[in-house]
Amino acid sequence: MLDQGDVVGSARVSDISRSRVPAPIVRLRDVTKSYGLGAAKTQVLRGVSFDIDGGEFVALVGQSGSGKSTLLNIIGGLDQPDAGEVEVLGTDTLRSSDAKRAGIRNASIGFVFQAFNLLDHLTVLGNVILPASFAPGAKQVEARGREALRRVGLSDFANRRPGELSGGQKQRVAIARALFNAPTLLLCDEPTGNLDSETGKEVIDFFRELNAKDGVTLLIVTHERRVSSVAKRVIAMRDGMLVETTDEALAAAHGGGPT
Amino acid sequence: MMPPGNLARMVVANTLRSRRHFVLSAFGIVIGIATFVVFLASTEQVGTVLEKIFPVEQVSVIAPRASLLGKDISKKLDDAIVEKIRSRPEVDRADPTAVVPRMTLAFPAFGRGDFEGNDLKFEVGGFADGINPAYVSDDDRTRELFKDWDSMTSDPKRVACEPPPRDPQEEVIQSPPAPKGKASKPGVYYNPCTQPERYYCDEVDRTCHHRVPIVMSPTMIELYNGQFAKSHGLPIADTDFVKFVTQRGGLSAMRFSIGLGLTTIAGTNANISQRKVRRVEAVLVGISDKAMPIGMTMPIGYIQRWNREFLGEDAATAYSSIIVRLKDRNRIAVFSQWLQDELDLRLEDSLGEKFATALFVIRLVLVLISLVIITISSINIAHNFFMQVTERRRELGLLRAVGATQTDVLMVVLGEAALIGLIGGLLGVGLGVAIASGVDWGSVHYLPRFPYKPDSWFHFKWWIVLGGLACSTGFSVFGGYLPARRASTMEPAQALTQN
Repeated sequence: MLDQGDVVGSARVSDISRSRVPAPIVRLRDVTKSYGLGAAKTQVLRGVSFDIDGGEFVALVGQSGSGKSTLLNIIGGLDQPDAGEVEVLGTDTLRSSDAKRAGIRNASIGFVFQAFNLLDHLTVLGNVILPASFAPGAKQVEARGREALRRVGLSDFANRRPGELSGGQKQRVAIARALFNAPTLLLCDEPTGNLDSETGKEVIDFFRELNAKDGVTLLIVTHERRVSSVAKRVIAMRDGMLVETTDEALAAAHGGGPT
Repeated sequence: MMPPGNLARMVVANTLRSRRHFVLSAFGIVIGIATFVVFLASTEQVGTVLEKIFPVEQVSVIAPRASLLGKDISKKLDDAIVEKIRSRPEVDRADPTAVVPRMTLAFPAFGRGDFEGNDLKFEVGGFADGINPAYVSDDDRTRELFKDWDSMTSDPKRVACEPPPRDPQEEVIQSPPAPKGKASKPGVYYNPCTQPERYYCDEVDRTCHHRVPIVMSPTMIELYNGQFAKSHGLPIADTDFVKFVTQRGGLSAMRFSIGLGLTTIAGTNANISQRKVRRVEAVLVGISDKAMPIGMTMPIGYIQRWNREFLGEDAATAYSSIIVRLKDRNRIAVFSQWLQDELDLRLEDSLGEKFATALFVIRLVLVLISLVIITISSINIAHNFFMQVTERRRELGLLRAVGATQTDVLMVVLGEAALIGLIGGLLGVGLGVAIASGVDWGSVHYLPRFPYKPDSWFHFKWWIVLGGLACSTGFSVFGGYLPARRASTMEPAQALTQN
């Protein structure tokens, strides 16, 4: 579906990914996060530290409630930690402004969610080009949107509504939206969780291809072994902390549900 | 920051896709703005009508009434006082008609004329005054005819003539034009002057004079239409005076005689020498709100000459009142105090000012009522937007995920509120105009005619319409602000996990 050298906007995916990426692309140090107050306070992350280098394909696994989705959201700037250091694409997201974080999300990070999160009132193409709404000076928006749809094999579905699509097609539209701005980092939260095994396999193959041929850095939160098995690195979590990625830990992680 | 074009497109798309939300939010605004513009437009129009009846921007200076042993010893209003008033800072010196003295006809006079075949007789003494003709410039016709013709000695039509003999039976009678080829008949007094509808042969100097031009106030026409015409079976006078005159056959239908020194009230002209009694002819040339409300008004030169002729120099230099147009009606208090302290004069009680104050209070109450309605609708908008923001949490979270800042989300929601307010305002103004049209239609068809009844009860001035739209948009944005803030500050991660 995606070839090395495919053009997104005016730059090649691989060029964008590799030329402007500082290493490491994600740097976490002693990140903590809790929800609630007083007796209801729940510690979700307990001093998490790790790096992700540019071009890596990382699977974040763990049981439900282990904090992996929270960690993904913090890396993506959708949530803020209580303490620690978070550096994404060379920017200290903990201390940067909301506008700065939004700019990074818009230009360099793509999100793929388990629930697709497509807007039913927009067409497929409208969903794909949604990020352009927040990009001042965005050019060739429609052409780029159609190109992104072509890459996920949905060229003929541009004018359909999300309600007319199957689950697998919806997820491919969500992936096209994530790829619209040629992101450096793709953050996926249980991307195959709502798909049947065949469709899930197609999506995983696509991610692998994206990473291998275009050098897009991938961080996938999953509890599915078939997903983590294709990742180049697996990070396991339990009770808000990273644990050694032993077979036992992986087995436990894959037994849990999405967090 | 989101580009404005993209913001506008997103706001329009979001507003149009949820019709239920739009109707729920806009309904109150539509009703509120409709009442707002209708109340303002109606009070504006009522104010205009009231100002016609009682001009509020001008005041009338009079001398306090004083008498001794039945004789009037009130302070005399003369040219010196006129000049002092003209020099006041409250008065616009550049405007030649800012200070206009009036002089009443100070001795008995009697009028008589033929109108629609009816012999009308009426008292003129006490019901006539004079003003500067430049002050009366309501239309071209009035400007052309309302002049002190007798002061224009160069008038080429002022030629010698032979006046008809005075009818021993009639004290005052108008003289009809002589029919072509017909000789005078006994008892019928033909007008020998050319252009007889405008000129008559004066019996004293035996030359043709232009008839004395007269204007009457709209109040007189309304009184005539409302009472006199009905009770005497006479035709209703059209508000368009030119049209009315044309229908009656031109100016000749509007002429009448004035017997100076004559009266129907026996004995009140005892001090006037019968030798002085004489007849002049007049013509009604227009309707003007500058005319005295009950009576007739002519150029002040006529009154001055007649007062001098019949009563002497004192009467020819004493004004009955001085009309003063101030730069700003808010300066009335200062001007009034100066009049009292420096000149021992006062302002005539102005019903207009009282009505204007009453109207202001009524307008204030009505606007407050409509503002209460709009405020309630603003609260309704807040409620609806809170509900909608909650329903759209996942969508708003997604916008944040793909690059929207908190300000972007705030602007999107506020933009939707503003658009609902603007459309609601437009619909409200439309509804207001429709209601006004309905009321006007009902007024035309079912309300009886009465003095100063307007053609429309509403005047939708541009500032009322713009004010209505600004109000609807402003209150809508106000109502949408808190929900918009909530939307912009919600954590995108939590919003995206909403079921």
